[in-house]
Amino acid sequence: MSEGMTGSVEDADFLLSTRGAGRELGAWVVGVAFGRDGKGAAFGLGDGTLHLADPALPEAEWRRLEAHDGACLTLVPDFADGFLSGGDDGKLLRVLPDGGVSALADFGMMKWVEHIATHPSGLRAVAVGKAVHLLDKASAKLKALAHPSTVGGVAFDAKGKRIAAGHYNGVSLWFVNSREDKPRVLPWKGSHQLVAFSPDGTHVVSTMQENALHGWRLTDQQDMRMSGYPTKIKSFSFTGKGRWMATAGADCVVLWPFFAGGPMGKPPVELAGGDGVLCTQVACHPQHEVVAAGFQDGLVLMAEIGSGKIVPVAAPGRGAVSALAWNATGTHLAFGTETGFAGLVDLSRRG
Amino acid sequence: MSETSDTVPVTVLTGYLGAGKTTLLNRILTENHGKKFAVVINEFGELGVDNDLVIDADEEVFEMNNGCICCTVRGDLVRILGGLMKRRGKFDGIIVETTGLANPAPVAQTFFMDEDVKRATRLDAIVTVVDAKNLIARLADSKEAEEQIAFADLIVLNKMDLVSEDEAAEVERRIKAINPYAEIRRATRSAVPVESVIGRDAFKLERILEREPDFLTSDEHEHNEEVMSMSFEVSQPIDAEKFNAWISQLLQAKGQDLLRTKGILAYQGEENRFAFQAVHMIADGDFIGPWKEGDPRKSKIVFIGRNLNRPQLRRGFEGCVASQGAA
Repeated sequence: MSEGMTGSVEDADFLLSTRGAGRELGAWVVGVAFGRDGKGAAFGLGDGTLHLADPALPEAEWRRLEAHDGACLTLVPDFADGFLSGGDDGKLLRVLPDGGVSALADFGMMKWVEHIATHPSGLRAVAVGKAVHLLDKASAKLKALAHPSTVGGVAFDAKGKRIAAGHYNGVSLWFVNSREDKPRVLPWKGSHQLVAFSPDGTHVVSTMQENALHGWRLTDQQDMRMSGYPTKIKSFSFTGKGRWMATAGADCVVLWPFFAGGPMGKPPVELAGGDGVLCTQVACHPQHEVVAAGFQDGLVLMAEIGSGKIVPVAAPGRGAVSALAWNATGTHLAFGTETGFAGLVDLSRRG
Repeated sequence: MSETSDTVPVTVLTGYLGAGKTTLLNRILTENHGKKFAVVINEFGELGVDNDLVIDADEEVFEMNNGCICCTVRGDLVRILGGLMKRRGKFDGIIVETTGLANPAPVAQTFFMDEDVKRATRLDAIVTVVDAKNLIARLADSKEAEEQIAFADLIVLNKMDLVSEDEAAEVERRIKAINPYAEIRRATRSAVPVESVIGRDAFKLERILEREPDFLTSDEHEHNEEVMSMSFEVSQPIDAEKFNAWISQLLQAKGQDLLRTKGILAYQGEENRFAFQAVHMIADGDFIGPWKEGDPRKSKIVFIGRNLNRPQLRRGFEGCVASQGAA
């Protein structure tokens, strides 16, 4: 890696070993999440288990739950506390940090609950096949939004007023409260998967089957193509104030500027590159202009966007990083790998 | 396509509605072979499937956004195979059943086009179940029935109890006119040995053209719109650059008509055989080990498709022969 990263593999594990803990969990880590209330960190695995840790005590025993009959496909923080987990058993589960599990919905054994988004207002959007089900606080179904093909990703805007869903040949935007359910479709040929609104709600970005991202400026529906990646982009994240969008999919962290007229016509900034290893996951700090990144070789690091300064979190060698998340206040970072290693680091603790 | 041994084999089952696909699928699943399969079926299956891990798929074909109109991919498969890889080790293989009307090309192309699918799985074979009694009528009224035969590595000629030997021979003749490279197995109630269906490795470059076809000498005029196959052979070494230039141009221009292309080539100054395959415009090729001592180093190419122009293809292939004396 570049500046500031010298020394042995043990040095790269300094933060994980002094301020956190790691566990071999035995199956592909599909998702990690912290509760919005700061309580609990959860890991969802490809063998259907969930693992719960206490962010205040990473070294303490983690609780293991047999949650899904199959694989966990997605794990997100619920709207206020706890987590929502979707599985290929068709189940939508709510999980509490103390290990309590309740099934909020069962879509049937052959249906996959693949994408979930929640909003602090109490809304939950759950993508199953071509439909996005919108649930309220009490898990009552408010509506089911239909799409022309399977939904590849779902997101709320910052205010919780709109939902975006990626599918073939575009992204559909829905107003949560509209009486008439007709989406505004942002068209672009190809298969759109993960989606997100920029924090200020002015742009929508999707990942594609091709090695590219696509974006739309909502004011004038201008298209943005973000291409040049060597692989598919499986992860992207906006910084807290929305100035930058960090993306995986290259052998460095690629950051697109969403200010001063960008990203149109502006080149992206590249960070933490140089050793030819693919970046697989990114997560921006919720407040500061800092991005955490996970790589194909298992390395996890943090990079300060302004200075390019890099701090390693976990050393390579434990499998490709497949999940990465900050807690809401940005004091804790959790990650997991394809081969089943999971780590939880408390950055607020004195080393 | 990835050839590493830790990829999970995927068998694709195609065939017209009522031909006996689901019967074959259930036979594979219930036979005592000690293997576990994940099964991907389409939403409108005729019969229940007897398996622990069944995934219900909508066949969702989309065009890649790369300007090539025949680069169609099954997006649902990309998604499902990706999901299944997260619980790797829980099964030994994956079987994908297509709907009766499915064109097999997008399924096959998914295994060439998607990097995640390539990394984790390999296309083992395309198996087509056909109804001996009704195939000829289907061929007359359906493009897909023809394409399912053109893409097949194994054809299960089913419902043999409903036809006479003469009828069966005529159906086989029609199948071979479309695709002489597929193995045909006659069956009643889809009863064929499981090991003839699973583990064929038919898309492995090493096995391309391993089977010698039962060529037919037919004088009958075949209409251009029908799918047929043509093969060409040269005994002089091939110039790799000339071949690449010719085949790229040919696949670009005629890719829509060329369903499957396969070749084994003896390149000038090269001890190893070069194997080549393509589905429409999407090609894949690599060296696959040396020629056998004493075997003639003949280069061979086979096209299965529509509107094939025999003299033009022959001239093109013969034009790839390396000029004498060149290194």
